[in-house]
Amino acid sequence: MSTPAIEISDLWFAYNGVRVLDKVNLTLPVGDFLAVLGPNGGGKSTLLRLLLGLLKPGGGSIRVLGSPPGQAGGRIGFLPQFTQVSASFPITVLGAVVMGLVRPGVNWPAGRATRRQERQTAREALARVGLADQAGRRLSDLSGGQRQRVFIARAIVSGPELLLLDEPTASVDGKSRQELMELLARLNSDMTIVMVSHDMSTVDGCVNSIACVNRTLHHHADSRLTPLIFAQATGADLMAGCPVELLAHGAVPHRVVLAHDDPGCCGGRHAKKDDGGLPS
Amino acid sequence: MMEALSYEFFRNALYAGLLASLICGVIGSLVVVNRIVFLAGGVAHASYGGVGLAFYLGLPVLPVTAGFSTLAALCMAWVTLNSRERADTVIGVLWAAGMALGIILLDLTPGYNSDLMSYLFGSILAVPDSDLWLMAGLSAAVLVLVALFSRGLFVMSFDLEFARSRGVPVRFLHFLLMGLTALCVVMVIRVVGLILVMALLTIPPFMAERRARSLPGMMFLAGCLSAVFCVAGLYLSYALDLTCGATIIGVACIGFALSLALPRRNRPVPGGDGAA
Repeated sequence: MSTPAIEISDLWFAYNGVRVLDKVNLTLPVGDFLAVLGPNGGGKSTLLRLLLGLLKPGGGSIRVLGSPPGQAGGRIGFLPQFTQVSASFPITVLGAVVMGLVRPGVNWPAGRATRRQERQTAREALARVGLADQAGRRLSDLSGGQRQRVFIARAIVSGPELLLLDEPTASVDGKSRQELMELLARLNSDMTIVMVSHDMSTVDGCVNSIACVNRTLHHHADSRLTPLIFAQATGADLMAGCPVELLAHGAVPHRVVLAHDDPGCCGGRHAKKDDGGLPS
Repeated sequence: MMEALSYEFFRNALYAGLLASLICGVIGSLVVVNRIVFLAGGVAHASYGGVGLAFYLGLPVLPVTAGFSTLAALCMAWVTLNSRERADTVIGVLWAAGMALGIILLDLTPGYNSDLMSYLFGSILAVPDSDLWLMAGLSAAVLVLVALFSRGLFVMSFDLEFARSRGVPVRFLHFLLMGLTALCVVMVIRVVGLILVMALLTIPPFMAERRARSLPGMMFLAGCLSAVFCVAGLYLSYALDLTCGATIIGVACIGFALSLALPRRNRPVPGGDGAA
């Protein structure tokens, strides 16, 4: 069997002495599409930053594509959270995608591909996300959903084997969200995908497995949203409220409806979730 | 204008203004898109310490100020990277400390310091040839450094988080950008003085940002706007007998107001969620 895309064992990480991640174990095979769910502050983003090598683990080991984090370079594509980029930045759609060709280190002008080659590569990436006709527009003229696809193009322009996405569907409308998920499902045929999200409606057909992160990590190798997963992903105090809310969000798997057919609706189910052995 | 150009001091002023515009376009654009305007202001004011030091030691002002400002800028870069919590407060302290040091050193310097005000409000009409050459040298150095590190600088300016994830040396580039800002500030002090530096560093890039389609385009446009302000301001100050630095900034501010009044390019935001 080939090297797993991600291999984590006994990982922990602490901010100011408080362990936000503890006893994390995960082996993700190549080609998987993992949704990382969990409550805010549960450690999802920290895990992503550890995978990117932006944070050093307190203990345990991580290997990404067989290398220590931060050393896989252009083999990892990354989509940061939506809010990172200023809307007034002067850049065209094509220019933004070219940014994805940056390599680790100084990037001396002499060592770069020609401007023409870079723009050609960027055009191909834009075509893959369905925005070939938008290449010359100013990025700020695009809608939120389109912009998010531009950033996915930037993430994949270097031909990565692993794509890490931080809240890709936050702040886009329902229709764009569905288009994004379809796009990711297509990209999944070429690369392993790890998607951090607190939006469970994104866990539809294309996701292969689910990891619930709330200080520790529970990996569910199939993508069925069971009441246990739901409780792990939302935290013990059920901040996300009644699962009926999920039905309002575009493409929701039917199994959520099934799970919710229990008599007693939220009250009864909430009581059940609370004794699901969750860390509080 | 032709008459004015026949004076060497006016020609030198023109060259100094154009060199400063070139550098303000490039560095000002980076300062604006990286949101370090406050840091640049801190460097500009702290650089007064360098002026005081030069007078106290009896050394040439421009090189000493350049060295001092670069040091102050690197301190501020270090502070912003290592104590994010209260970085702005510490910058404020360094800002004031630099100025106070400059004034105290000038007090301790024997003799009458007529030049004191010229560094606060600019002395573009008194730029000697030697300073002009130094400015040209600094401009060239700044341009070469920006060109060499352009890919990293641009990626970092656009999206810090992404740049970091790709192994771009953002810490080093942050120090580099602060150092370049210091050199730029020292050059512009000659033209408009350290009180008014911020205007020339921010107004042209701000006006250019909304119309440019790339960062180099923004730099070019900002440089051109800055040159227009400098030339127009110089001429007006000559014709109306006004303080030069302040007139240049006055023209820039009028330009700024006009650009706000002019309609922006239409920006249809389909989906209606464009956080502008």
